[in-house]
Order: sequence, then C-alpha cells, then structure tokens
Amino acid sequence: MAACVWSVRSVRVLSEIIHGHVLPAAAAVRHQAGTSRSLHGARAPAVSARHLKQLGVTSLRSLSQVSLSEEPDALYQKLSVRVKGHDRSVLDSFEFFASLAARELGLSLERAFEPRKHTEKLTLLKSVHIFKKHRVQYETRTHHRTIEISRVTGSSARVYLEYIQRNLPEGVAMEVTKTSVEEIPEHIQKPLWDEGKLEPCGQ
Amino acid sequence: MAASVTRPALSSLCKINSNINGIYSLTSFSRRISISSVLSTSAVTTETEAAGRGVRGQRRSKRQAGEPRTERMTVDQDWTAVYPTAASFKPSAVPLPVRMGYPVKRGVPPAKKGNLELIKIPNFLHLTPVAIKKHCEALKQFCTEWPSALDSDEKCVKHFPIQVQSKEFVSAGLSLRNPDVRIVTLKVKLSSLNLDDHARKKMIKLSEERYCKDTDTLTITTDSCPLRQQNYDYAMYLLTVLYHESWKTEAWEQEKTRADMEEYEWEDSPSQKKVLDTLLRMRALGAKDEVEEGTREELLGQPAVQEYRDTMLRLKNEGETEENLQQYKEAVKKLFNI
Repeated sequence: MAACVWSVRSVRVLSEIIHGHVLPAAAAVRHQAGTSRSLHGARAPAVSARHLKQLGVTSLRSLSQVSLSEEPDALYQKLSVRVKGHDRSVLDSFEFFASLAARELGLSLERAFEPRKHTEKLTLLKSVHIFKKHRVQYETRTHHRTIEISRVTGSSARVYLEYIQRNLPEGVAMEVTKTSVEEIPEHIQKPLWDEGKLEPCGQ
Repeated sequence: MAASVTRPALSSLCKINSNINGIYSLTSFSRRISISSVLSTSAVTTETEAAGRGVRGQRRSKRQAGEPRTERMTVDQDWTAVYPTAASFKPSAVPLPVRMGYPVKRGVPPAKKGNLELIKIPNFLHLTPVAIKKHCEALKQFCTEWPSALDSDEKCVKHFPIQVQSKEFVSAGLSLRNPDVRIVTLKVKLSSLNLDDHARKKMIKLSEERYCKDTDTLTITTDSCPLRQQNYDYAMYLLTVLYHESWKTEAWEQEKTRADMEEYEWEDSPSQKKVLDTLLRMRALGAKDEVEEGTREELLGQPAVQEYRDTMLRLKNEGETEENLQQYKEAVKKLFNI
C-alpha cells in the first residue's frame, strides 16, 4: 500500500523530465504554499489564441517558466464534457476538434457519443384576434454531444478544458462533470474513541 | 471596366465644381445667405440638391475591389496565418468553392460571394488539424502525466476510495453564473472505511436513504452553501461526523429490539425455540423429560440443525427464491428424518 500511495507531486516532477523539458534553475523555484495549484507561470495566465500564434511562430523558449506548486495534483477518474447546440453539424465539427485535442495532449478519450436530441414544441394562436382554430407551431431542437475522458490529472484537465472552452463556437453551451478520486483523510482513518474510555454520551 | 473609363471624366468635373465651391465658400457665404433669404425655398433646395449631388458624385467614383486574395494563395501556404483566430467567413480569403443556402427553382445553392448563410454559421477554419497540433504542442508543457500504476477504475477506487463529483457550466446569457455549480456529491464505499460490525450497522442506520445496499455506497449530496468549496467542506464534515458517531455506543442502544435488527438472526429467535422444542419432544418420547444446557447445546450442534439454521437465514435475509425454498425443504426433511 505504501508503494502505491502516490505523492503525485513527485510524479509530476518526473514527468517534466521525461517530457524533455529540462526546467531552467530559475523556473524550478517552487511557489509558496499560498499560490494556486495550477502549473501556469506568471507569464501565461490564459492561453489566448493570439498568444498561441506567437508561440507557433517563435520557439517555445519564451514560455519556459513552468513552476510547480506544493499542493498535490487532483486526480479525475472521469471528465464528462457535454455540449449542447441547435445545429448538429457545428457539434460534429466541435467533436472532431475536441477529440483531436485530447489525442494530441495525450489524454485517454474513452468515448464520444450523441445523446438524444431534446425538442421543445410551442403551439400559439396564428392570429392577433380570434380565430382560435388556427394555430401555428414552433419547435426548438437542442442537440447534444458527450465526450468522456478517463483518468486525467488536475493540471491536464485544466489545460484541456480551458483550451476547449476558449474555442467554443457561438450558440453552443457546455456542461462539464468532473469525478475526482481522493484518499480517505487522516481524521477518518481511525475512530477517536479508544475502546477502554468512551466519551460521555450526548445529552 | 467600361464603367471605370467613363467615370474619371465626370468625377473630374465634379471635383472642379467642389473646388470652386470651396474657394468661394468663405467669401460668398454671407452673400449666399442674403440671396437665399430673398429667393424662395425652392432655390435653396436646388442649391442644397446641387451640393448633395456633388457629394454623391464624389462617392460614385468608388474604389474598385482588387482581385480576391484567393487568387494569390499557394497550395502549400500556412493556413494558420490566414485564420489564426475565430473570425467570420471571408469569401475572398477562403479558397474553397463553397455553396450554401436553399436553391431557387431549377437552380443551385448560392455561391460564397455575399452569402449570409456562410457568415452566420460558426466556422472552424481557425481549428484545422495543423492548427490544433500546433496549439497542443505549446500546451503540452502544462500537462502532467497520470500515474501509471492506476490504470484501471478498480485500482483507482481501491487506493482512492472517496469520489467527489461536481459540475461546471459554460453558456452565454444575461448572467455567466449557474447556481448548480455549487452542488457537490461525495460517494464512498463503506467497505473501504475502518468500521467494525456495530459501527457499520449504526452508520447505515444514520445515513438512511443516502446508503445504497446493492453497491454498498454512501452518497452525500450537499448544496446548502453558496460556494462549491464550502459544500465540499460540509460534505467531508458530515462524513467525519457519521464515522465517529457510528463508533460510539450510547446507553440507549442496549434497548435495540428484534424489530430494529437489520438482518435476521437465528439465535434467540422463535424459530430456534420451536426447533429445540420439537427436537426435545421427539427425543422425550423415549427418554427423560429433563432439559439441560448440555443437551441444548448438543441439539443445536447437530449438522441437521445447523443446515436448517443456514436455510432459514438465507430465506429471511435474501428473500424467497426457488433454490432457497428447495434447500429449506431438504433441511426440514433431514431434521425430521423423513
């Protein structure tokens, strides 16, 4: 059990080296405990598309300030991204984009499927005054698409979700369900009361 | 092109006109006003009309649009430079012969030039596979790797038994906030907690509906606090309280009756008494009438009685199925030597 209890922070450091990103000494300075647990350096709070364009053209040396924080990374057993829109073809394209992005970032895409569309119908009077027998019907169709990603770390999830959300097309909404797994905290591992001496019973 | 040839002549005329107007504007302004006051309104309007025509005449010589950019595009160009960010469809910048819209009778969908349908629909021209790969290359350094030892769901749950679910929403509307974001659901299997028999039963009794017997999962959903972090802390607090309270044994727990028991227990049950009674009567036909503790234990220790006990427990706890009833029948037959 001890071997399996991962201090994910150490794994993260290892992965940084494995990926070939040898951090310069200045950048390897860890943030104080007060900062957030994101891996983003002070230079890149948000990865905008324009900023990415600059990255694409120039080298990646400009973004080498990746700092690690003391807090352990969250672990998400499942990340379920559900997009809703009125046009199926837009959702098709978005699914292609999201799945390709997941593959490129090295996340394990479990499945991408299409839940049933939801149709809301409205029946109104056709005329302004009288003519109750003549109505007009409208309907609003909402199409859905779900992309499930399994076993992803908190930092990777943040990066992926921010990238996806910034490139969400107009008229499309998104709902993300995150299932994170945690260890049992220390205060629940053993009962407070020793067998010999019980606390006085509640009044 | 023919139009552009004739235009310059007219435009030059109009320009001369306006220049003359400009030169004399300051000096003759007052004179014009005095004239206009004498003359009727129609004269004023004709002057303004002339002035208007002059301005419109200037506007008529519009600069012609050059050839579209698509003519000069090469096949191996960098498309990410043409559409680096999300932008509306520009027919002169997209070298594809796209047609969109409902066709007229015996016609084809309209072409891309001036096509509103193409502009309305969101396009993904800025997210071609090449662009996505470039973006992901740049983003990869912020990602961390999943620990390789936890490659299946079972292992995840084994080492990290508590599952916390929460939602996030992205939508456009009058407000960016969604109140459902604050809801936190905490799921944990009781088998992974350090509980003894009494504590487990008490915990199940305390959690009532939140416990599912089939999956042995305790689900705590909190939404009473306004922030997600607060709800998470509250859920952990509830779990802690449940855990520690279930280890306590209160004085009034001694008064637990048979009706409060979660499972059927055969010891001290009417069924056990009846069996004992029956066996003693069967025995007592030929032997003495004494009931000793020794004989009682002896009787209960018989394999037939044990089998009867097992079948009774199975019937009561698991419900009545064909198999269970058959086993009960066999046990009863063995007990009475039928």
